[in-house]
Amino acid sequence: MPSLATASLRVFDLSLGEMLWSRRTVFLALVVGGPVLIAIILRVVDALNVPAMRVNGVRLGGPSIFGLMMWFLFLRFIVPVLGIFYGTALMADEVEDKTITYLFTRPIPRSAVLIGKYLAYLASTVLIVLPSVMLVYFLVVPIGGGAIASTFPTLLRDLALLAIGLGVYGALFAAVGAWIKRPVLVGLFFAFGWENFAMALPGYMKRFTVAFYTQSLVPHAMPQDNLLSILQSVFKDNVSALQAGLTLVAMLVVALAVATRAVERREYVLEQ
Amino acid sequence: MTKRTRYFVFGSVTVLLVGLCTGLVAYYTGMPMGAFGQPSGLSELRYVPATASVVAYADVRNLMQSELRQKLHKAINDQGEDGQAEFQKETGIDIEHDIDRVVAFMEPAEGAEGYTAMALATGRFDQGRLEALARQHGGLVEDYGGKRLISKADLENEHGGHKSMTVGFLESGVVAVGETAVVKRAIDRQGARSVTDNAELMTLVNDIDDSNAWAVGRFDALMSHAKLPEGVASQIPAVKLFSASGHINGGLSAVIRAETRDDQAAQNLRDVVQGFLALAKLQSNSQPELQALVNSLQLSGTGKTVALSFQLPSQVIDSLANARQKAEED
Repeated sequence: MPSLATASLRVFDLSLGEMLWSRRTVFLALVVGGPVLIAIILRVVDALNVPAMRVNGVRLGGPSIFGLMMWFLFLRFIVPVLGIFYGTALMADEVEDKTITYLFTRPIPRSAVLIGKYLAYLASTVLIVLPSVMLVYFLVVPIGGGAIASTFPTLLRDLALLAIGLGVYGALFAAVGAWIKRPVLVGLFFAFGWENFAMALPGYMKRFTVAFYTQSLVPHAMPQDNLLSILQSVFKDNVSALQAGLTLVAMLVVALAVATRAVERREYVLEQ
Repeated sequence: MTKRTRYFVFGSVTVLLVGLCTGLVAYYTGMPMGAFGQPSGLSELRYVPATASVVAYADVRNLMQSELRQKLHKAINDQGEDGQAEFQKETGIDIEHDIDRVVAFMEPAEGAEGYTAMALATGRFDQGRLEALARQHGGLVEDYGGKRLISKADLENEHGGHKSMTVGFLESGVVAVGETAVVKRAIDRQGARSVTDNAELMTLVNDIDDSNAWAVGRFDALMSHAKLPEGVASQIPAVKLFSASGHINGGLSAVIRAETRDDQAAQNLRDVVQGFLALAKLQSNSQPELQALVNSLQLSGTGKTVALSFQLPSQVIDSLANARQKAEED
């Protein structure tokens, strides 16, 4: 019987192609293509000497627009959405397609199936989202004279944060998918219901969200232009970057451990 | 891994690597900000030093034609003051029609306390008439770096010493006015580092639009030369850069923006301004003519940015003028 690492890599190799060329790829392309399209439009608008974005009469520069896009589009929407739709489907798809039997009857640990699939999810989403962010960065930041040179360290932090976010949300929803029967609904409620609600509450409740820790790491300031963000800023209680990073890594490890344990112990009954 | 998966992985990694390498090169070489963007439209800025503490701009033609200025002009003419006509008679320059725009800057004086300043006016100037006028008043006309300079020495400065002022014809339709040494340095600066290479100030300049007058500056540089008492200096917010821009026509709309050293300083400044705004709103309840102005005050900004915008419609200006006139009559 191969080791857990060898078996996981074998499943990863098999699953990467499956994930990249599945129907979900169209959805993924649309999700990450949207910001690139918006960036192209903003750049064209700027080239026509029309201010791309203004807030209260202040023209937003490229770096500020990029910060807004990173926070609203990528960190608060695209990353959780990809985590939900890919993370919850890691095992659920095999169950739905009734192909899980073929994987579980191989002479490999059951947990290797989940770990290999999780690594394939991480690789495929990182390989699509990060280049998209890179294109958005080079299109948007120069708007209004923004400097690539001075904002480049911020981009590096953004890319690292996105990779961590994809990892944590993916692991979390992989655990949800391994335990619960309707994981997508639970995932959507968590990412777009609970996280927004808890972040707006005073006290410690926000510490039970992923967004709280990603917010502590985000190099751009949070915009305060709607009621929810104003509430969130009023009750802002950021932790240090180190603490936030360690907590996110701990979340990832715990969620992955929970997911692998579920896959090891759970009896999957295939509907006839 | 299939062939097309390999191609995809290769393509994605290539995009990432190209982006990262470009960014790294830009970061380490300090690539000029205009490399991927649009250059600023004010060509006079290349005469402004990169170390300028304050840079200001006024679209003179636009301001002169504004409704607000027409009202002011009428009020002044009614009082019988017409210095503009006298200036035109002397110099041949009709401020209303001959000057398009003015760019001015202040920089710390070299080897002395205080600041030196220079203004660059763009428009239509009668060089011959100005030279004749200068000679008539004891001015010296000379060539420096291929540019024509009209200088007047032995003028008294604010410290009781002497200074020499110069009007330099830098290029067709661009005139520099300032201390002789500053104008000569501006001529020497051609092709060298200028404020257009100062990424911080230029970001502020590029963020301004639709304004016919603006000023940007380094607040920390101004404060370091202000020699304030320690107790006062420690109370001043940690503002690094500032900009003030306004559009004047019938009324006035303006934005004052500050860039602080860190997010916390910006949040503190926002809290302080918010407090003052609340106080102003309370006070304005008893003064209806000020209420529209106070209600238009809007505080915004994210991260290190704090912005305060306000609008003064022409009706409010009229009512303020009427209130003042009434108070004078009483």
